[in-house]
Amino acid sequence: MTRKKVKLAFITNDSARKATFKKRKKGLMKKVSELSTLCGIEACAVVYSPYDSQPEVWPDGRGAHRVLAQFKRMPEMEQSKKMVNQESFIRHRISKAADQLKKLQKENREKEITHLMYQCLTGKGLQGLGVAELNDMGWLLDQNLKEIYKRIEELKKGKGEAPRNGVEEKQAPVVDGAMQRAAPPQQWFMEWMGNEGDNQQGMGGSFGHGGIGGSSGSGSSSGRGSGGGEEMMLPFSDGSNSAAMWSNVFFP
Amino acid sequence: MAKKPSMGRQKIKIEKIEVKNHLQVTFSKRRSGLFKKASELCTLCGVEIAIIVFSPAGKVFSFGHPNVESIIDRFLARISTAPNSHDPFHLIEAQRNASVRELNLQLGQILNEVEVERKRGEDLDNMRKTNESHYWWEAPVSKLGLEELEQLRDAMEELKKNVTHHANKLMNPSSMFVSNGAGIFDQYESKPSHGIVGSSNMNVAVNVNSNFGYCHGFF
Repeated sequence: MTRKKVKLAFITNDSARKATFKKRKKGLMKKVSELSTLCGIEACAVVYSPYDSQPEVWPDGRGAHRVLAQFKRMPEMEQSKKMVNQESFIRHRISKAADQLKKLQKENREKEITHLMYQCLTGKGLQGLGVAELNDMGWLLDQNLKEIYKRIEELKKGKGEAPRNGVEEKQAPVVDGAMQRAAPPQQWFMEWMGNEGDNQQGMGGSFGHGGIGGSSGSGSSSGRGSGGGEEMMLPFSDGSNSAAMWSNVFFP
Repeated sequence: MAKKPSMGRQKIKIEKIEVKNHLQVTFSKRRSGLFKKASELCTLCGVEIAIIVFSPAGKVFSFGHPNVESIIDRFLARISTAPNSHDPFHLIEAQRNASVRELNLQLGQILNEVEVERKRGEDLDNMRKTNESHYWWEAPVSKLGLEELEQLRDAMEELKKNVTHHANKLMNPSSMFVSNGAGIFDQYESKPSHGIVGSSNMNVAVNVNSNFGYCHGFF
């Protein structure tokens, strides 16, 4: 079965058109037959073409007459309710495709803004962003925060399954992948905090203490320390970036 | 929000489906696909077709080009040759064919756009997957521990503040009388309502939630 994309237009090449017609007509008849068998329903198909003086019919002349008679016995309104021709059918397809496109665009926009948000969380500046992006990011932050608050509540109440980031957890061998990744950033934050001493401005107390506890234990686990660079996006390369989130916290 | 993977193409035996639900779903999908194939055959090869299908519930679906009735009448009357092409209705037909051509072009275009968008989505998914494994903060909330969550929370709250601040700045360049006193004074005449410290908070609430054509339109 060839998988070349076919243009939805009349095939001008005569032989190609004839070949396509034979193939597709055969396929069409097969599909009608399958539909009828699988669903146990009555159906018929009639095809007029320039290649045949007689119409091609499924199931056969008799069967088609039977189905058509059944069709004509139905009230006019029932007949026309689900009746379509090329125009209406293609319009319908266009409308479905348009809906699908909108849905995909919406999803992709969310994915893009999510990516942007993470970049900004790790120091990308907000300077170049337009109102639309900022608004969408604001919305997304709200959504995420909702989830996070909920999850924090759950964990505090002891309902959650994820381990608490207690100090003892960090000293122990790392089981959870998330925990492992947690260690380097703690250490990295710690280095920033080092000069600030006990400056906990803007950040929760848990952050400071957890970090302090972590640095002693994380020495062994951080094959990639803060200097490791590539995997850990270090956002402070340009100190002029006053809009970077972290710098606002540490250097008001 | 990952899409649940569907079962893909399954080979099916051609015999009556037992489970009523499956039967109905199959009917719906296959009928739609059948009409699509018929429509394509008409477009590609310029032939005339009628298909009549009765649903399991007894309703009737039909597809016809140029239209169902004319094909049925033609068939029942056993006229095998096409209607006289010199008759006046030929013009109407020609016009209809032209509009069908237009519609097919439109359809082709939009289907391409869908394909492009789908590919874009895939690429974005792949990027996210890579990032998720490298950066702990990109992992889903359920996978994070309490301290990580608290860090993330604080970071996001901070970012949110900044985002709001920037959004404000962009929308009201003359109203930067923010509560910490770091104002940007313009040559513009600042409207009194924007100059009040309290109202800058109002702006914050209004702006983040209001409809800029993107907020609600997008989400």
